[in-house]
Amino acid sequence: MLRYTFFRLVQAAFVLLVMTFLLFMLIGMMPGDPVENMLEGNPALTPELARQMRELYGVGVPLPVRYWHWLTAAFQGDFGFSSLYFRPVLEILGPALLQTLKLMVATIVLSIPLSLLLGAIAALRPGGWMDTAISFFAFASISLPNFWLSLILIIVFAVQFGWLPASGTPLADNPSLGLQIYHSILPVTVLTMFFVGPLLRYVRASMIETMSSDYIRTARAKGLSETTVIVKHALRNALIPMVTVLALGFGMLFSGALVVETIFGILGMGKMIFDAIRYVDFNLALIGLLLATIVTLVSNLLADLAYAWLDPRITLK
Amino acid sequence: MSVATPALEVVGAGHVAQPDRPRLLRVSSLSVSFPGAEGRESEVVSELSYEIAQGETLGVVGESGCGKTMTSLAIMGLLPSGAKVSGSIEFDGKDLTAFSPRQWRNHRGREVAMVFQEPMTAMNPVMKVGQQIAEVLVKHERLSKRAAFGRAVELLASVHIPSPERRAQDYPHQLSGGMRQRAMIAMALACRPKLLVADEPTTALDVTVQAQILDLMLELQDTYGTAIQFISHNLAVVSEVAHQLMVMYSGRIVEYAPAEDLFANPLHPYTQGLIRTLPDIAQPMAELYTIPGSVGGKRPSGCRFSNRCPLADARCREAEPALREVTLSHHVACFKVN
Repeated sequence: MLRYTFFRLVQAAFVLLVMTFLLFMLIGMMPGDPVENMLEGNPALTPELARQMRELYGVGVPLPVRYWHWLTAAFQGDFGFSSLYFRPVLEILGPALLQTLKLMVATIVLSIPLSLLLGAIAALRPGGWMDTAISFFAFASISLPNFWLSLILIIVFAVQFGWLPASGTPLADNPSLGLQIYHSILPVTVLTMFFVGPLLRYVRASMIETMSSDYIRTARAKGLSETTVIVKHALRNALIPMVTVLALGFGMLFSGALVVETIFGILGMGKMIFDAIRYVDFNLALIGLLLATIVTLVSNLLADLAYAWLDPRITLK
Repeated sequence: MSVATPALEVVGAGHVAQPDRPRLLRVSSLSVSFPGAEGRESEVVSELSYEIAQGETLGVVGESGCGKTMTSLAIMGLLPSGAKVSGSIEFDGKDLTAFSPRQWRNHRGREVAMVFQEPMTAMNPVMKVGQQIAEVLVKHERLSKRAAFGRAVELLASVHIPSPERRAQDYPHQLSGGMRQRAMIAMALACRPKLLVADEPTTALDVTVQAQILDLMLELQDTYGTAIQFISHNLAVVSEVAHQLMVMYSGRIVEYAPAEDLFANPLHPYTQGLIRTLPDIAQPMAELYTIPGSVGGKRPSGCRFSNRCPLADARCREAEPALREVTLSHHVACFKVN
């Protein structure tokens, strides 16, 4: 297990290296000139200063050369400076990543039990009215766009009733946990709605398949109660394919979080990457996207470890 | 499969019927049907009546799709939802058809247990073997988990699994097919049920392992006095273990008799056909006999075997012959038998 984890981490590091190259090239090919942006924002900038700035930012230097400069600096711990915030990018992205992870973890913690419960109930009587209702909910969850649902919830709960804040970020300097949760209710609801639908569809399908398997018949032949059969025998088996879906869904959730953050004004990764690309903040966009890559790689590794934990037939070597 | 099974010499020699035992199971006029397309019902078991005495083995033989498995599931109360059952199943004086789900749960696993065909899929892949056996004891004998696991180890030893302590900690995939079937038998016999329903318990196993499992079942029957309903499509296998034999065709009993009687004097053309399909060790090069046609598809009118029967005439295609006793305890459903 340890050896496997180590091997996977080495593999992940290699993937990350390749990703730095690809992302560097892609962002480098984006139209726009960061210095042009600064000139627009600050008419006092002289042409001489602009030339110096361009030299500093490496505008005009071939991309592969720039990549090499960036890489050597990165290995020395220098990930560059944000042209938008005038601060080292890690200083900006650290808290932003924390915000996004909070949002995602809250969503996942809510989504897993919810989708298991709904999926299992739907699978008990396929085609029954509960199944129909739950399937309808799932399709609504899959079809409703995030931004639309966010706006509707803001209109209803923040504007009409005034029960919940429209903003995802508390105004206080050091907000209490309760206040943070209070402000997270709407964005987490939107993300959970977005995530539960596909998950519960998979749980349902997986449960239906499991419930018709031979060992479920064996369990019933022992005289076990239906609850024991479902919880002890079916659920754990049905969970195994769920791990893949969760790992793949992680990336989807991340991109979902980007939209939701933007709408609710949460200073998370989504807002950072969105702004970085919009205002051609090269370093910020690059590191932001790399952090997203790391999050995905880690979630995949966790998924493989979870497999081995859930299924004794799998040994990691 | 049948080519390599025990040869004909042993047929009918396994067990001798003991007629004076008290009755354990009585099935009368049992029919099972499923709702089909356009409101039509398809009957998979029709008007089945038979009995099993305590400690006795009834062999049920027939091709795939003849209703063998549905019959055993009906006895276990495990028919798929949607199945319609009529007739009565009397077990040890209790009418099972009147059972509530709760009564069924107390009945299954304690009074009657089942061994399935596929030992590969019949066990939960993510649960330890010992735990799966212990579960029955926790449910019916109210043992603690720890005590039940200890008993599970003893049970694994009783079905001759080597190093049972270690095997109890294994997961099903770590056991061979034969060992898994042994473990299934240990699981079924955990609460010493009065009746064991074995649905093709040896079909998925290697021939040498088949013989071992059959020996084990006979040994345990002697020890515990368990009655067995042994379902198989393989006459040679059934002949080794059964006192009584019941031949089914297309949901009906066509012949029902003491085992040695049925082998010595098969009356129904279908039974005769089945026995002829067995390979004969005296003529190793002879081409194997096959009954023409196949079971399933549209049922012919009259006798259900009439479209494959070499003797069928106009009467067979019009009316369905009833099961009648022709000699003592030998029942057959055929117009052509006097």
